[in-house]
Amino acid sequence: MTGSRRNNKKRFLHVFLLVLPLLLFVISLGIGSYQVSPRDLVRTFFSTISPSSYPDIPPVYRDVLFRIRLPRLLLAMAVGAALSVAGASLQALFKNPLVNEYILGISSGSAFGAALSLVFLGRSFPPQAAAFLFAILAVLAVLLVAGRGESTSLISLLLTGVIVSAFFSALLSLVEFFASPYVLQALFFWLMGSLSLAGWKDLAISLPLVGVGLAILLLYRWRMNVLSMSDEEAKALGVNVRRGKILVIFMATLVTASSTAVVGIIGWVGLIVPHLVRLMMGADNRLVIPLSAATGASFLLVADGITRVVSPLEIPIGIFTSIIGIPLFIVLLKKAKRVWL
Amino acid sequence: MKARKKVLKLMVMAAVVACFLAIRAAGSSSAQKLTLRDNLGRAVEVPSRAGRILSLQPEITRIIVALGAGDRLVGLDYFLRRDDHLFKIIYPEQARLPVVSKPDDSVNKEAIAALSPDVIFASPSELLVPDSIQRALSIPVVALSSQGSFGRLLEEIDFVGRVTGLEARAKELVDYFLENMTAVVRTTSSVPSKERPKVYLAFWSSLVRTPVSYEPVNAAGGDNVAAGLLPSFTGSPGTVVTIEQILKWDPDIILVHGNFLPRERQVTVQQVLADKRLSSVKAVRKGQVFYTFGYWYWWDPAQVAVETLYLAKIFHPERFNAIDLEAAGNIIFEKFYGQAGLFSKLCEVLAFHDWIKKKQ
Repeated sequence: MTGSRRNNKKRFLHVFLLVLPLLLFVISLGIGSYQVSPRDLVRTFFSTISPSSYPDIPPVYRDVLFRIRLPRLLLAMAVGAALSVAGASLQALFKNPLVNEYILGISSGSAFGAALSLVFLGRSFPPQAAAFLFAILAVLAVLLVAGRGESTSLISLLLTGVIVSAFFSALLSLVEFFASPYVLQALFFWLMGSLSLAGWKDLAISLPLVGVGLAILLLYRWRMNVLSMSDEEAKALGVNVRRGKILVIFMATLVTASSTAVVGIIGWVGLIVPHLVRLMMGADNRLVIPLSAATGASFLLVADGITRVVSPLEIPIGIFTSIIGIPLFIVLLKKAKRVWL
Repeated sequence: MKARKKVLKLMVMAAVVACFLAIRAAGSSSAQKLTLRDNLGRAVEVPSRAGRILSLQPEITRIIVALGAGDRLVGLDYFLRRDDHLFKIIYPEQARLPVVSKPDDSVNKEAIAALSPDVIFASPSELLVPDSIQRALSIPVVALSSQGSFGRLLEEIDFVGRVTGLEARAKELVDYFLENMTAVVRTTSSVPSKERPKVYLAFWSSLVRTPVSYEPVNAAGGDNVAAGLLPSFTGSPGTVVTIEQILKWDPDIILVHGNFLPRERQVTVQQVLADKRLSSVKAVRKGQVFYTFGYWYWWDPAQVAVETLYLAKIFHPERFNAIDLEAAGNIIFEKFYGQAGLFSKLCEVLAFHDWIKKKQ
């Protein structure tokens, strides 16, 4: 294949990956247990602009479209983009392909927070708020324990992340021990990760935080290539390494924690999606970060679409992110025969 | 058509009774010992009149108390001590009993050995526990649970009656339970199918978790919209559905699992009524969203009998209007547990008084 044909193919892939979430979003609007024809969906959409022109649209169509599917799909896109960009950014920062968005204790911190709320605090302190708070606390604990000096190594951050995760997992087990079996069921449901209860309120809580975090990480993508070099090289290129590391860690934490708080723990997205993008497009973070956002959004839309199509039951989305993502990853890995980072 | 429905209902009731009698006949007995097959298919040899009983299965512990053998209990499951508001009402003496199990399904075998029970009851959902205890302590362990079935509940009462040597009392309770159910079903079976409300149950602390089978709803003359779906949790009739599916079913009535203390309820009637996603659902539009008791480690026989009456009143007020639910509840609880005013106490604990009065 000539260089120009390869470049054309890449350019096409680039555009395709960016447009794909929009296509999937439109298709997903037509998917669900409640059957509404595409024509009626369009009419329902316009009926909000001019209700008198569409008097025959049943109110339930509006509920399905505007109160169930739209917030759910927008949340799926936001969470998919957030987890993927967080994973890609942390992989670049830690120069480690095995790093995922939960590596600094976010998942165990938020799981503990949700458990604490469900088991002891009742409705006075919602699990979403507690999950967010403890996810942030877990990462702060990692930073504090790993040290704040110039010499803070990435390895010590990673190790501390593992330790803090283990600590919060132990606390989670302790809370589970005191939970009544019925509250425990609610907790397991939350831990499995689900978009089933997504509403505008969840979107209003998470979207501003995800938006800010994603925007900053996207703007910072140019520096991530430099941060993925050795500290000495990065410094030689005029980058403030410590500030860069802290910024990336905080923003990745912000987007992951605000996603996890509303949908629970959805695994594999932040590990698989950035690798898929690298395998297709190369390791340049200027491309990897935005394309991870788009591919992550598409990935979660597809996984969510499958959960809504296969049966009237709500199968946790985390199961499908693994079922779809892992075979896809293996195929691409075999095809590319190498992993970029 | 009507006659056919009636015959069908009576056949279902007859099948429940026949199933119960057949299972009763399946156990063989000698003078001292009974050999019984438990829910895990294990043949267990148990004493015919156990003097010291340990129950790790809350439903059975309540049955033991109902049989009048509460004084033979030597220990308790953690759930009854810590989480079960009902048991503390029907058996305040529980405070004297040591707790021998933990929430992770593990049991303190040394503590059990010290209590030296003649027989132990355990839950079949904790698969490894029965054999593990029986092997370690050589004490017969019976795994038994109704798993939400009325037929199995009756079977359990009979089973525990034989193990305790209180067959006559067990028969009295079974007959009383059947009498109450039959009285409700006799009325609801004459309800034309189009007048039977479609009922959705939001159970286990979630709007989207629902039982695929809930016999009190059927007995009370309603149809569970999730009936026939596959359960998604092993050993449980529960499944998880989408909100769109609830809209598609468009239930006439939504029932919220109310068997929690008010502060522990993750889903409330008010939340469901205020949920805009459900605003087009008939039950929400018409304000037909209510608490019901729901499973509480399966059944309490007295509570589920009252619950069936309560649901019948909600589903068919014109047919059950004359029933004073609280008075009827107190009579049923007294029959099972021998004390007056127990149902009123339960209503107070669960803050059910207000909405029960609204229904009367």
